[in-house]
Amino acid sequence: MQLLPFYLVCDESGSMAAGGVDAINGALPDLHDEISSNPAVADKARFAMIGFSTDATLLQPLVDLSEIDSLPSLSAGGVTSFAAAFRLLKSTIQTDVDQLKAEGHSVFRPVVFFMSDGGPTDTDADWRGALKELNESRYAPKIIAFGISTADVATITEVANFKAFIQESDNISPAAALREFASSLTRSIVNSTTSISANGGEGFDLQVDDHVPGFTSLSLDKM
Amino acid sequence: MSADDGQDVPRTSLVLRDRMGSGGQGDVYPVEGAGDLLFKEYKNPHTVDQAALSVLPAFRQSLAAADLARLDAVAAWPLCRVTDGGRAVGFLMRRAPDRLTWQAPSGRTKLLELQHALHPPKAGTRTVPQPSPEQRRALAAACADAVDWFHAAGMVIGDISHANILWSLSPEPSVHFLDCDGFRRVGGAAVQAQADTPDWGDPLTPPSQACVDSDAYKTALAVVRILTQDPYVTPGATLRLVPGCLNDRQEDAVRSLFQQATGPRGTRPKPAEWRNALSDRGTIQLRATTPRQRPTVDTSVLDGVRNRKPIPLRGR
Repeated sequence: MQLLPFYLVCDESGSMAAGGVDAINGALPDLHDEISSNPAVADKARFAMIGFSTDATLLQPLVDLSEIDSLPSLSAGGVTSFAAAFRLLKSTIQTDVDQLKAEGHSVFRPVVFFMSDGGPTDTDADWRGALKELNESRYAPKIIAFGISTADVATITEVANFKAFIQESDNISPAAALREFASSLTRSIVNSTTSISANGGEGFDLQVDDHVPGFTSLSLDKM
Repeated sequence: MSADDGQDVPRTSLVLRDRMGSGGQGDVYPVEGAGDLLFKEYKNPHTVDQAALSVLPAFRQSLAAADLARLDAVAAWPLCRVTDGGRAVGFLMRRAPDRLTWQAPSGRTKLLELQHALHPPKAGTRTVPQPSPEQRRALAAACADAVDWFHAAGMVIGDISHANILWSLSPEPSVHFLDCDGFRRVGGAAVQAQADTPDWGDPLTPPSQACVDSDAYKTALAVVRILTQDPYVTPGATLRLVPGCLNDRQEDAVRSLFQQATGPRGTRPKPAEWRNALSDRGTIQLRATTPRQRPTVDTSVLDGVRNRKPIPLRGR
């Protein structure tokens, strides 16, 4: 089987307490419902969830969503270590892809949906070093980054290597923006995996919304 | 509003409710105050072949009552075009009846797509109704029969897949085609350029050349995938049929036809052959397969005294 792994990497620092984690927790059943009831999608998609704050935690190891009945919830607290998130992501992806290959699957480059509501509390050298290691790793993922609330445009743009979005604070609440973020992730999983055949060497098109309601698309043409 | 006469409907006359679905080519909206009517609006109307889209409502209008009822039973057919500024921007169709839906574990109602008959149930699909082996045979036969009906009516389906055929077990196993703007007249143009659904392509026919033969190949995929509950099996593979769904005659016929589906274009089994192979009608064992005994004849009654006379030969 040809598989496309998705990693949801969510900020669950203290600032996400005011409805932020609740919004994501409330949206995850919809994501699960959409994927798990669609066997052709669920067969080819794999999903994992990492929460990060002072540290990073693999909340949901990589799984076929149609085989689970519950997901661990995000819980707010602590500060915002991007470095911890990127390091855990790198090691998790490495282990997961090796495992899937050992099981005989073909694995497409993993896709990361990264969300933060603020800036990193690590030193610049620390989080940038961790991001560089992730991007230079063997299975470097495609990263789609979303910034809400006080997230910084430059930082979100720097984290992303595929697409980046920043919340339009005047037009939408952080909670509504987070629901749109989760919907965009769901559409990406469905639309991307439906272009993948079970076997054979054909590629696929990673489908990510060009425009997400409540967000401004950021240019990644950095110099 | 009536869309039943097939006449174009202006876009400005439609009041739409919230979008209920979005695909690669268009978005689907319920039409306010129009019962079960849905509007499919193309994302890129300038890529729509206006004439090819006109063919579809016209085809429906050309049918006699019995065939019209049959079409509406097996397809969410384009009833009429929707136009804006003289250009077709979409069409109206009917919502799939409730019997073609299932309730997911989340409680949400979803379309009962062919894929749900092909994938063994998991936690997320445990509430999908499971056909009995006999119902699987009937479902596969209904699928082949519907394709045969369209071919007999001069229509090519094009993209036969796990996502654009719905099914139901009640009141009897039946199928219902979606995305019918992908259909076209035999030899005619498609409404829009259309790709095959992954895992449902005919390796010998590019999607732009969809024809009754590529439909025949995809019918083989649909029929055998239903009978094996294997969403990825292709002609040439070992068949592992769901136990009990076919009798010996049917199984022999299905195996033979599936092998035949590996052949070149033009030789794939016709949908009617699948329907006949899957028929639940028994075969009639004909008697008189050995010559009737000839009656014994008493030749003595025919042998009388012979009166042989010499034949005078004229001498020279």
